[in-house]
Amino acid sequence: MKRTVYGILSLVLTAVLFLSSGLKSQSGPADSKPRETYLTLTYLCTSNDSVCLTANLKVYKKNGSLALMNATIDFSSGQDENFIPVGSAPTDQEGNASVKIAVGKLQRGKDRMIAYKATFAGSPKYYKNSAEFRAEPAKILISFSSVDTLHYINLTGSRNDLHGHEIPLSKEIVNLHVPRLFSLIKLGAVMLDEEGKASFKFPGNIVGDSLGNLTIIAGIEDNVQFGSVQAVSRINWGMPNEYRKSDVFSPRQLWTPSAPLWMIITLIVMLSGVWAHYMYAVWELIMIRRSSKKDKPIL
Amino acid sequence: MEDGHSHSRRSRRKFLKKGLLAGAGALFGGGILKAYTTESGNKSGSKVKVLTTNGEIMEVDEFSLKLPRVSTLEAHEGIPGRKFVMVIDLAKCKNARRCVETCQKAHHLPKSQEFMKVYFLQDGEKTSPYWFPKPCFHCDNPMCVSVCPVGATFKRTDGIVLVDNDRCIGCKFCMTGCPYSSRVFAWKHYREFDQDKSPYSPEASSPGKEGTVSKCDFCPDLIRVGKLPYCVTACPIGVIHFGDINEDVVTNGSETYRFSDLIRDRAGYRYLEGLGTRPSVYYLPPVDRLFPVNRGFEDLDENGKHRYEDTPYAKQHKL
Amino acid sequence: MDNSEKSFLKEFAPCFEKTSVKEYAWIFGLLAVIGLGIYAFLEQVLKGHIVTGMRDNVVWGIYIVNFIFFMGLSYAGALISGTLHLFRVEWRKPIIRIAELIALISLMIGPFYILLCIGRLDRAYYLMLYGRIQSPISWDEMAISTYIFGWIIFLYISLLGDLAKMRDFEELRIPKWRKKLYKFLAIGYEGSAYQRKRLEKTMDIMAVMVISIVIIVYSVLAWIFSVTLQPGWHSTIYGPYFVIAAVYSGSAVLIVAMWVFRKFYHLEHHITKNHFIAVGMIMLVFAALFGYFTFNDLLTKWYGSQKHDEVLIRILFKEFYWPFIFANFIGVFLPMIILGIKKLRSITNITLTAAFVIVAIWINRYLIIIPTLQSPYLPIQDPHTEWSIYSSTWVEWSLTAAGIAVFCLLFTLASKFVPIITVGDYRKEDTKENTLV
Repeated sequence: MKRTVYGILSLVLTAVLFLSSGLKSQSGPADSKPRETYLTLTYLCTSNDSVCLTANLKVYKKNGSLALMNATIDFSSGQDENFIPVGSAPTDQEGNASVKIAVGKLQRGKDRMIAYKATFAGSPKYYKNSAEFRAEPAKILISFSSVDTLHYINLTGSRNDLHGHEIPLSKEIVNLHVPRLFSLIKLGAVMLDEEGKASFKFPGNIVGDSLGNLTIIAGIEDNVQFGSVQAVSRINWGMPNEYRKSDVFSPRQLWTPSAPLWMIITLIVMLSGVWAHYMYAVWELIMIRRSSKKDKPIL
Repeated sequence: MEDGHSHSRRSRRKFLKKGLLAGAGALFGGGILKAYTTESGNKSGSKVKVLTTNGEIMEVDEFSLKLPRVSTLEAHEGIPGRKFVMVIDLAKCKNARRCVETCQKAHHLPKSQEFMKVYFLQDGEKTSPYWFPKPCFHCDNPMCVSVCPVGATFKRTDGIVLVDNDRCIGCKFCMTGCPYSSRVFAWKHYREFDQDKSPYSPEASSPGKEGTVSKCDFCPDLIRVGKLPYCVTACPIGVIHFGDINEDVVTNGSETYRFSDLIRDRAGYRYLEGLGTRPSVYYLPPVDRLFPVNRGFEDLDENGKHRYEDTPYAKQHKL
Repeated sequence: MDNSEKSFLKEFAPCFEKTSVKEYAWIFGLLAVIGLGIYAFLEQVLKGHIVTGMRDNVVWGIYIVNFIFFMGLSYAGALISGTLHLFRVEWRKPIIRIAELIALISLMIGPFYILLCIGRLDRAYYLMLYGRIQSPISWDEMAISTYIFGWIIFLYISLLGDLAKMRDFEELRIPKWRKKLYKFLAIGYEGSAYQRKRLEKTMDIMAVMVISIVIIVYSVLAWIFSVTLQPGWHSTIYGPYFVIAAVYSGSAVLIVAMWVFRKFYHLEHHITKNHFIAVGMIMLVFAALFGYFTFNDLLTKWYGSQKHDEVLIRILFKEFYWPFIFANFIGVFLPMIILGIKKLRSITNITLTAAFVIVAIWINRYLIIIPTLQSPYLPIQDPHTEWSIYSSTWVEWSLTAAGIAVFCLLFTLASKFVPIITVGDYRKEDTKENTLV
């Protein structure tokens, strides 16, 4: 009787422990309901009749978010329920997927805006999701002019109406940036006048590449009607980046691979002086040995 | 006969009982072991979930994802045309220690090795104390490089001073040479070194090697892919700014400034300038502080408070 | 070889021919201590430097103290014997061999402590392969290797006469291989006029070389500390300070060694009280110099009250109070009292003083290295106590003891190979003149 109880108890214990250890080692939920995902869609109109759509797919855990990689995001554009696919891309290791599409033929709504949609079809473990964005395409033209020593950046903003005519953008704020190694530095902001034009005086002390070339980015950011519009151009107004190697790396210092010359010379002189004396002493010893061979040993 | 049967029955029962117990014990132990290793696996760093093409999920350690590691020869050269500089805003630091911890996780360091240290300094009896994050200063006249007998530590053209742990003999002369106590030594083979399976590069300062010296490296492996060093992005308040002094720009990830404007307007300085080491890290004095100084003590545990108990402020306020 | 020399050698014959039970016990004891040292070494190699007391702030501990101490002994022995030879000092004969052997034997022990301090011993040869001449450690390498070669030559020249005498002493009952070895090493030196002249000239040149090399070489070791920016070390006085302290410790070890050999080899006729007083006078002079340099260094640091000097001095007087008093007060005044007052000058007193001085100088080296490392520019704010305060472990102490044991062992073996008192030059001078009676 006792033995039977013992046996059953140990079986039960084994089963309980197996299940609990199994539960502990799984990091996901034990049930098969797919997890919630979060999908965001970012829009950028690049002033050359095309837009760049970037979608970001995330999962939220209790201590932060995780990007989902290698998921296929489908992009589409259209009106009401008629969305035609315009591209698709897989997410990278930060969860971003982007496509570039031409806007010329896309259908517009009554407010002149085009609707875009990004869709994640879902997977057994992750719930499907979609995100939408609406914006009217616009463009900014950058041109440069100089008066004496003063440099000006001239901007022209325009949009196309429903019949394809160009209408100037007015009363919109455009920010000017120069890209640097990790970020953009802001030069300033201008407001486009009624004709969609503005002029910005270029500050003279921006460092460019070694030849003085600079990239200028003009952009309208997070506009209600136009979303984000950007134009990029290059001009040779930067200060040449004199890669001042000599500031950092004068040759022959204490911390450079080659030692200062005076140090090398001093050491050579001292060491050879000393070792010359040693050689002399060894020579004398050799002479002593030789002299003994000449004389007969005396007992 | 009966005795024989009962004997064999008894022995069979004994065997079964022992077997069940052994099996239970093994499963129990195995379960504990599995749970323990999974947990400690998670402790190594945050994970990123990767969806493979057939919808399966794979977890990958965030910090070992695809950061290219250059050879030692390239590591000596440096990123051309750049001269890196860091600006630390002492008016904003509240000893959140995210910079310390993220750097430790990213470089696979044990808790006792800190590349970025946060000090609680008080210059004079009546002056106000402040929190002082201190990475390696990557000096332009580096004492540590001058005294290394085998050339294991070197200064590159982009201003970064690195240590080659394949060359270092562990004489620790550089540690006595550095007046800012920036260097740490691997006194044994720490468990955390094994977390990094990629090949060693001086630019990554990882995996560490027993018996060699290492220090903050300004994360050149991140810079090469256009990212800011770990401490810069980890700081929740944006205390640390990083940039290129040739371009005259520094950024903390969200705000970008012209370096010369920042130093001029905020009276930036270098620590212990009189020593002549010419550091590459500038500090903005703690004027118009964002937080009161005791905010830095609030989230510390006993161990953490023990660090600062010798300072006059801590003694005065009995922290 | 005339009769005086023969009788002299006969006196020594028992040393060379046999080893007594007491000597075997002594050697065995030393080997046991060395065995413990080897075990400690293996512990360090297998587990890493974490078994020592060194941590990220005090990165140089007892190993470096021992390195400096033993190299100091070596250089001091060389300096003392070089000077005594060069100036043909009358009473040098019985003790100069001991001084030379101190120099040689400490030289064999010192560099090992450097190797113990290196984290990657398997890469030690990188010092040769990838050496950078801008580093003070490379200067030290060049210095030590130059000194080793120079000292071997000097010692050989000094020993040549004795080796010839050993070769010619036919009644010596030693194994044939030893006789052959003496013959080989003596390179046919007979003491003919031609040979003597050459030998003396070479000896003088090497003595001058050795004296100048020693001063420079030990200063190089001092520069390893003084060229850094550490507040306690960045002192202009370290070069001569180290040399003075080294000679001080060397004279003390010489006295102790003289006492040991006098007692155990029954050399009372040769090493007399006057020899002790003579070397004791050297010790006295250097005690005064040592006290002067220490006072000089500390006064300058204390008076100016620079913040970092203040922290250092506070550590010296709080944490290290008694070692500081011992090293810098007793260590300076005791020799001056014992040797200054005629009544107190006895062999026992002088030897005891010398023993104190050895410990005092070792402590002084410790006080130079560790307190500075405990007071860097940026305060040590670390939760572990062992990061702020250095406490050496059994591994380090075992290896220190093993070093001392190796010293004693090699000395014992050397005294069985060459006469501990110079025989060689006894030909012309009368024995009486050399006993300083």
